[in-house]
Amino acid sequence: MTAGAGPDLAAASGDAGMRGWSPQRVWSVAGAVVLVALVWGFYAWDGAQTTAVLGGTVRAATLLVLGAMCGMIGERSGIVNIGIEGQFLMSAFTAFTVASMSGSLFLGVVAGVSTGLAMGWMLAAMSVGLRTDQIIAGTVLNIAALGLTSFFYDRGRSLGQPKYQSIELGPLADLPVVGTALFNRPPLTYLALVLVVVLHVLLLRSVWGMRTTAIGEHPGAAATVGIDVIRLRYWNVTLAGGLAGLGGAYLALESVGTFTRAMSGGRGFLALAVMIFGRRTPLGAYAAALFFGFTTALQGQFQLNDTFDIPAQFVGMLPFVVTIIVVAAAGLFGRMRDPAALGQPYEVR
Amino acid sequence: MTVLTRRLAIVFAVLAVFAAACTGSDDPAPTTAAAPATTAAAEEPADDMDDAEPFKIGLVTDTGKVDDKSFNQSAWEGAQEAAAALGVEANYIETEEAKDYENNINLFVEDGANVIITVGFGLGDATIAAAQANPDIFFIGVDQFQAEAMPNLAGLIFPEDQSGFLAGALAGMLTETNIVGAVLGTDLVPPVVAFKEGWEHGARYTNPDVETISTYHPGGLDVAFGDPDWGAATARQALDQGADIIFGAGGATGNGALIEIASQEGAYCVGVDTDQWNTVPEAQPCLVTSAMKLITPGVADLIAQAASGDFAGGNYLGEVGLAPFHDFDSIVTDEMRATLDDVLAGLNAGEIDTGWPPG
Repeated sequence: MTAGAGPDLAAASGDAGMRGWSPQRVWSVAGAVVLVALVWGFYAWDGAQTTAVLGGTVRAATLLVLGAMCGMIGERSGIVNIGIEGQFLMSAFTAFTVASMSGSLFLGVVAGVSTGLAMGWMLAAMSVGLRTDQIIAGTVLNIAALGLTSFFYDRGRSLGQPKYQSIELGPLADLPVVGTALFNRPPLTYLALVLVVVLHVLLLRSVWGMRTTAIGEHPGAAATVGIDVIRLRYWNVTLAGGLAGLGGAYLALESVGTFTRAMSGGRGFLALAVMIFGRRTPLGAYAAALFFGFTTALQGQFQLNDTFDIPAQFVGMLPFVVTIIVVAAAGLFGRMRDPAALGQPYEVR
Repeated sequence: MTVLTRRLAIVFAVLAVFAAACTGSDDPAPTTAAAPATTAAAEEPADDMDDAEPFKIGLVTDTGKVDDKSFNQSAWEGAQEAAAALGVEANYIETEEAKDYENNINLFVEDGANVIITVGFGLGDATIAAAQANPDIFFIGVDQFQAEAMPNLAGLIFPEDQSGFLAGALAGMLTETNIVGAVLGTDLVPPVVAFKEGWEHGARYTNPDVETISTYHPGGLDVAFGDPDWGAATARQALDQGADIIFGAGGATGNGALIEIASQEGAYCVGVDTDQWNTVPEAQPCLVTSAMKLITPGVADLIAQAASGDFAGGNYLGEVGLAPFHDFDSIVTDEMRATLDDVLAGLNAGEIDTGWPPG
């Protein structure tokens, strides 16, 4: 199986394909042009508000895309991960606690990523090693994270230092429209952006990516050409956990700057919707995450400036409605499908 | 697989059971009150003093946590304070979901509590029902306005609009961009709306040119007070469009807003309910003051009334005020202080319209 033949290519508008201009691509480019024109128009109309909304969009999208990337590596390997919420929460807790005790945000991030890896390994041990039902394995992670973090939460603890602050990327930060939103961000956001691009290339172009797709589509066939399915699934699910761990560290140390119980607030589940909407490609997921983030930011903005009398709840509902429509429509036309071996444990015969 | 992985499976199973036990809301937490903590945040209330006194105090939180560093926590501290003064024990139950209000109250009823405090507007109906069913037990409903007085139920209510108005009046004088913001819990809870209306009217009272931008959390009661990420992101949006003093009112959601504002140089923030200088130290770089509801003394006073037997039902009007300015003492000029005194006098005399109640 080559990259070009996969179902993923058409969705990713930023991906330079070899097949020329398919109708989907024409539509996505046209959509992008309209979107840019709209944003530019709003920017000319009210720069401060547009910047605020775009900033809020990128901010909300970062956590979602990290979770979605964690989920997609698992799903492409054939493992459903609904424990992302728990991975976020647990990593946020350890990142905050370690940063608070050591006084170093960096050590906090390391702790958060390590926790994510450990949680990923647990998921792998349950769903790959022990061949447990994958939904149950993920649920265990979620419940355990909520319980453990609530139990060990020390309400008197504070970070003791400012959270990660924005870093201006020289002249880029002065660009109109996207300057503040993309080039005046705290460090973990930049890291997440880099990871999106790197992972996109790796998943769709590298040998590892091909093998990952193979063990998710037809592990038996993959095994016959010498791929160690169990071993690769273990590695993938564990490493993917590191991405969710980074998400947790982002939540505690960059986005909020403290830990409170159940602070992930369902964003780990939202990340799964983002992953599906983004067709299990990192760039696609980032586009989906930006869309979800945009509606979040817009919700607040509608109330802040009082110009539109649209209930905030209605705007908040939009991404979910669109996701349902997209998934249903794509399902009807047969253009989006799950990896064939998704959710099935693999046994070496 | 190997023995190691089998063992792991057992560990996971144990973890899951353990976790379920931790999150269960149905056990009164065995926490005995001893610390007369008004500044909170630091110490665990854990000293054990087995007292044979029959007087029992029970507290049911709203869906926020008892250590939310604002609303529920101040009520719990009031209960602890009263318990320490009486030499008895106080217990609490944290409500996980709104459907559990009634069950949680009944747990204390069955446990033989003498006085039950329910914290939050959301528990109002359940509290009235329980008070009617149990005339021998005293009930204290924090933030629950009583339309009809019952002898064994006191609603501890506050003029939040006045508290917000004072803070808003200060904000109107401090702002340089003439934009003041507010990041709030939810408009499903009238006291939150009262805070917002008071805040906006106060800002306009001292500064007619001011633009007020305010946002409520769009979620329901179950998430609106526990979403610091949303609070932080929304506060940033308000900062990005020029607000330079922002009111964060809504449990952990509001705290998220305060911490975000602390990372913006030159911006001020205003806390809520308690003096959040102590409860959210991360916000100290921006925290000018807090619009306080003196919940702790109100709860303690009502419990003392219940214990001594001269408990009056109906509504008990608690006090409000501004927290000390702490590090920002020097930027609040004498002129501003004089204005605040005038505002306070006007509020007390009922001469100032705070915009609440509407109409």
